[in-house]
Amino acid sequence: MTDFTITVNDQTVPVNKGQTVLQAALNAGIDIPVFCWHPQMDPVGACRICLVEIEKFPKLQVACATVAQEGMVVHTESPKVVKARRGVLEFILAHHPLDCPTCDKGGECDLQNITFKYGLDYSRLKEPKHRYIVDEESTFDDLRIGPEVIRNQNRCIHCYRCTRIVDEVAFEDDLGAYQRGNHTEILPPPGKEIRNLYSGNVVEYCPVGALTNTDWRYKVRVWLTEQTPVVCTLCPDGCNMTLWTYHDKLYRATARPNDAIDKGFLCDIGRYGYQYMTSSDRLKKPMVRKEGELVETSWGEALEYIKTHTDDLKKKLSGSGFFGFIGAGAYNEEIYSFQRFLRRVIGTNNIDYRLNRKRHLDYDKEITDRKLGPDSATYDDIETADTIVVFGSDLHSENPITALRVKRAIRYNGAKLIIINPVPTHLAVRTDAIEAIHKPGTGGVALTAITAAVLDRIKGDPSSHGLAAGDIADFNSKHSDYSGDKAAQLTGIDTTTIDKIADIVSKSESAVILTGAFFGRDPWRDSLLVAATNLRKAFKRCLLVTMPDESNVFGAEWLGALPNRLPGQIGFEGKGRFEDAWRGPLTDMVGKDTIGILEAINEDEIECGFVLQSDPVRKFPDGGYARSVMEKLKLLVVIDSFMTDTARIADVILPLAPFAESEGTRTNWEGRIQYSARALKPLAESKPACEIIELLSDKLGTAFQQMSPLDVYSEMIGFLPVDAPSNFERLPQAGVQIKANPEQPIGGFSTFQFNPVDSNEEFPFHLVTVNADHHRGTLTKRSESLMNFCSEPYIGLNQDDADKLKLSEGDLVKVESKFGKVVGKTRRLEDLPQGRVVIPDNFSELAANLLMGRKERYDRVKLSKM
Amino acid sequence: MILSDETKRKISQAKERYPRAKSAILPGLHAAHEEHGYLNDEMYKEIAEVLGVKFIEVAEAASFYTLFPKAKRGKYYIQVCRNISCALLGSHHLTRYLLEKTGTKLGETSADGLFTVVEVECLGSCCTAPMMQVNEKYYENLTIEKVDKLLDDWRNAE
Amino acid sequence: MTGATQNKSNARETRVLLEHVGDPNLHKIEHAIELGAYKAWEKVLKEVKREELVQWVKDSGLRGRGGAGFPTGVKWGFVPVNSPKPKYLCCNADESEPGTCKDRVLMENDPHTVIEGCMIAAFAIDCHTAFFYVRGEYDLSMRRIKKAIEEAYEKGFLGKNIMGTGYDLDLVLHRGGGAYICGEETALLSSLEGEKGLSRLKPPFPAIEGLYACPTVVNNVETVSNLPRIVLKGAAWYAGMGTEKSKGTRLFSVSGHVKKPGNYEIELGMTLRDLVYGLAGGILDDKPLKCIIPGGSSTPVLMPDQLDTPLDFESVAAAGSMLGSGGVIVMQEDTCIVWVAEILAHFYMHESCGKCTPCRQGTGWLYEILHRIENGQGKMEDLDTLLDLADNIEGNTICALGDAAAVPVISTLKHFKDEYIYHIEHKKCKHNNDFRLLPK
Repeated sequence: MTDFTITVNDQTVPVNKGQTVLQAALNAGIDIPVFCWHPQMDPVGACRICLVEIEKFPKLQVACATVAQEGMVVHTESPKVVKARRGVLEFILAHHPLDCPTCDKGGECDLQNITFKYGLDYSRLKEPKHRYIVDEESTFDDLRIGPEVIRNQNRCIHCYRCTRIVDEVAFEDDLGAYQRGNHTEILPPPGKEIRNLYSGNVVEYCPVGALTNTDWRYKVRVWLTEQTPVVCTLCPDGCNMTLWTYHDKLYRATARPNDAIDKGFLCDIGRYGYQYMTSSDRLKKPMVRKEGELVETSWGEALEYIKTHTDDLKKKLSGSGFFGFIGAGAYNEEIYSFQRFLRRVIGTNNIDYRLNRKRHLDYDKEITDRKLGPDSATYDDIETADTIVVFGSDLHSENPITALRVKRAIRYNGAKLIIINPVPTHLAVRTDAIEAIHKPGTGGVALTAITAAVLDRIKGDPSSHGLAAGDIADFNSKHSDYSGDKAAQLTGIDTTTIDKIADIVSKSESAVILTGAFFGRDPWRDSLLVAATNLRKAFKRCLLVTMPDESNVFGAEWLGALPNRLPGQIGFEGKGRFEDAWRGPLTDMVGKDTIGILEAINEDEIECGFVLQSDPVRKFPDGGYARSVMEKLKLLVVIDSFMTDTARIADVILPLAPFAESEGTRTNWEGRIQYSARALKPLAESKPACEIIELLSDKLGTAFQQMSPLDVYSEMIGFLPVDAPSNFERLPQAGVQIKANPEQPIGGFSTFQFNPVDSNEEFPFHLVTVNADHHRGTLTKRSESLMNFCSEPYIGLNQDDADKLKLSEGDLVKVESKFGKVVGKTRRLEDLPQGRVVIPDNFSELAANLLMGRKERYDRVKLSKM
Repeated sequence: MILSDETKRKISQAKERYPRAKSAILPGLHAAHEEHGYLNDEMYKEIAEVLGVKFIEVAEAASFYTLFPKAKRGKYYIQVCRNISCALLGSHHLTRYLLEKTGTKLGETSADGLFTVVEVECLGSCCTAPMMQVNEKYYENLTIEKVDKLLDDWRNAE
Repeated sequence: MTGATQNKSNARETRVLLEHVGDPNLHKIEHAIELGAYKAWEKVLKEVKREELVQWVKDSGLRGRGGAGFPTGVKWGFVPVNSPKPKYLCCNADESEPGTCKDRVLMENDPHTVIEGCMIAAFAIDCHTAFFYVRGEYDLSMRRIKKAIEEAYEKGFLGKNIMGTGYDLDLVLHRGGGAYICGEETALLSSLEGEKGLSRLKPPFPAIEGLYACPTVVNNVETVSNLPRIVLKGAAWYAGMGTEKSKGTRLFSVSGHVKKPGNYEIELGMTLRDLVYGLAGGILDDKPLKCIIPGGSSTPVLMPDQLDTPLDFESVAAAGSMLGSGGVIVMQEDTCIVWVAEILAHFYMHESCGKCTPCRQGTGWLYEILHRIENGQGKMEDLDTLLDLADNIEGNTICALGDAAAVPVISTLKHFKDEYIYHIEHKKCKHNNDFRLLPK
């Protein structure tokens, strides 16, 4: 499949047109040393260590930037090359401090390794070495340049990988190279720090110890550690990581480059998030409630307690008196075995992972009619798209690596980015995006207005967009209230912006729409989905990806964590297969969803529940209600690694081993199933979920004989529409993808129904929950490194609104709704439109869900200075 | 606001001359330097704002070039060419003499704020060596006598 | 051997570029027009096809005067004129090579010919926005060019629909920030884009992907200044001057230890002896000659026995050096060569952009060793180190600055190794090079 060949060191090497000599050689297994080159960035040819001799070229050439031409004869280790390379090394080492004994890069330093290879054991430099002195008193020239990053300029070899990662990959601007010549210095802009969401990559890809981070510094020598391949659990991007352990202790996470997914980059949340597993407040032993207090106990006693109470309740109630909540951060195997436990052992379909829904949504309708769920899109579909629409998503904080792929599409494919959100987001910075900010609750109108404007542009040739002539007239007749000036009035987005967007959409050949949490958590997301699907149809070719808001939502939906779907998205009519597999009868009574379960508890129809790695009290968008209802339960069993708000009201707590202490597979937003290995033994008496569930099943009388995730996997995988090996360890690194909704929907448009937002004078502000800088979910607050970026919650509002309320930065402010109140520190925001309040939902001490009402269309609050 | 409206106007005019705003960073730095005689972070920020470019782009560029000092200098910024053609005709004596007469060390500003003497690389005045540039103006074919006269004139002008 | 007695010469300048230089009003447009300015521009716009112009310049044999000596017409020919992208011309007026001050003479005295040349070069590549990158320190040059451009706009030689021909051309003056490297064409483009002046990898060559990733030609001031006369007087006239392969005249800046330093315009092919001993009047105080740097500080020295080398590209190359930028630096016998090398090394260290390793680290290292030898701290092994470091720089860098830094070291060590050794052995110089401040 290659285009031609070249000769490298007498070896014939196949080349694809456009490849560099370096790429061709590396692919053929011929090693050429590099410092500045990085596979995901443009070559700069700065370090000159990859010089090679190419016949007929008068000078040595850099392999990294020389495009291979047919018939080239290349020598990578000729005497001339070796002399030049030793020369380059000598230059680099001349002023390098050679402080390897105290350098954290020791043992994994490209400079050490390449020097070792070329055997340079002397320096002819007689002058004193240059030093960038930070502190005259100290011989250590370390300078903290960001919450995590520490610079030692003496060690820098000026490869500019760091500044290029920040600029070219992350589109950020908080690291640069200043001065010139041998004074060139790497620093953030004057008065600033490097604190972008991808800052850890500059440390990982520094070929020497010039940039290090506090996470890893001075803790362990790298050669003592063991490495385990895992998949990040903090968002649905599914980035591949390596966990580094020594004596059963975690020391760091680094990228495990996967070209299909992360291209070798991690966000800081993933990189430093692992620290929550090392947190001192992990649950170490089971606990049971005795005389009102939770006390530590043994596994035997805890299981016995559960059995006794369950048996009692079972006598009184049928299976429908039980429920299970599972967090969609769990492994596929854990989700599968949990729902199997509930369905087969307990006898209920009351199971859900969707804890942040205010309103019953018709899941059948979502997946069948409207093709909700991933379109089988992949990262590569994003990267090759000419137009990307981000709707209802802070993609930068929700899906940081997907955001990087969007940036690659912009950089390498000239893709146009359109962002439509209720609040401004960071993704708009430096991406030349058209960012349309709409009034809360009017996102669907904005999409409908765009669709109308696009249809107006293509009405001459609707068939080119797969539409019939009548479709456009039909759409227009139903949506005249949501286009043009009327839409502008409703949404606050001017018609010029809509026109600019429509120009791009109408000319696009291949597009992707990405939705996120603002979309997913909207109680009327079914109507938003209609609007998004209509826009999708107005494109010539477009994929619609509804980004889940937890890391393994795709797994949860495909492995039965839903009240009306068995694993493999199979309806109850197909339950026979499962009755065979699970050797027993299953109920076909459709279960209740989260809100239904809570209401049923309130009505005393449900009295017992199992909650796995999930915190409904903290997450349900009516926190007061969730707590008061769940307190009514006769038996609440919580399986978790931490004392969550829900665990505090539990009757039994079983200590859960987090992901690194277990193994299994996860399903990212693409539907890609990947394997994540076990890096550590479970802490103290904690156990992996599969083992706990097997113990519970056994105790309650139906053992499955499946203690290990691998046992569960080999049964589970048979219910999924994928071609996967029967042992998850044999999954390819890129995983296998579940294909869902692959075709572009055909046919006409659906009718978008707008649910107007009432004004509310008593509660004038709209509440919007967001992620705090460098946080996602509630686990990251247990990561010291991430707390260095943002250590406490805040209440963010527009600075003019703040002025009206006489709120200065940091002032305590009370936020009240009909349902509750919270108090926090003011953060004045320049870009946030007036009338919005943003609260990060990453900190228990400031729980925004206490302000929410489960029946409210939108959450309205008022503010007052304390 | 440290840059005057006039300077900002100059910078936005410069922006119009180029296909891309970033190209006007150097004109922007020159304009700010003309107004203040030095540059600082605040000026970088304002230049970036006028041009719609990143602060870091202005800061990095400014640090690379020699004509954008970050500190105030003497009223007469005396730059003696130290390069080959001038050196062959005694420029090092010229520097030494100027330091002596102004009572300063290289790069230092005299107590009265009048003089800063530095050595610079070739100024393209090789056939009229030795020479120095004082602020923008070239003084060529220098002799001790000429330098004496210039220093006297400048002192007397105060 | 090389004493004052050899100074007899009938050498004469051939003033083409300098034809009117000396006329105090030449920089004013009215006067310049009287002397023929913009006639060539009018002819080009009204009578000449673009392809014709390119061919004329190819036929004239004009080669770049910035340093590399690449044939100008051929360089233009690399531009894909049918590309949908805009094409850019950049006039390189960032003259900074030590020993060179010839472009300055043209800009200060005859700015209209300079910008007329830019206009013609722009036309040759179908460029409608041209840039004039003038060295930041060149205050008078900058003001004269700025004024000349303004006057040219007023007279309708620049702008929209020039002289009714439908051709649009803007010429934008861009002042550098103080960096020698920006005279290197790719660094110049980086700088013009508002970045640090870092040189770029080639390929892609500027003719294909230059300014803003569009086809771009960078031409030197002196190069373009020849164009109006070539247009008016013809390629054959120009090619009639000079030697077979080095056509036309050239400006040489003669500096250092000569009686009459200055910028001289001569037909290519005149001997170095005629230039130095004839036009420039011979060595100061009639001292013996030590050596001459013929083409700016980046070129290897020529020795007294090479004085009869004709100053054309080929002969100077055959003599082991380069015509470079035309900066002829003359040194009399008691000049300390280590000191000279140290000064030049300091320069290259100061001006290295810092992008690639050998130049960033090597230039400073060379300087440090030379500085140490000059100050009596040298060791004999330093000489091998110097040569080896220079060898490790030369040819291994992104742009020519690395080579330029290596040349003075290699060249002076080749010819004056004994002097280096004396320095090391005696911890001092054998010359009294404590040059007095001159002239009296």
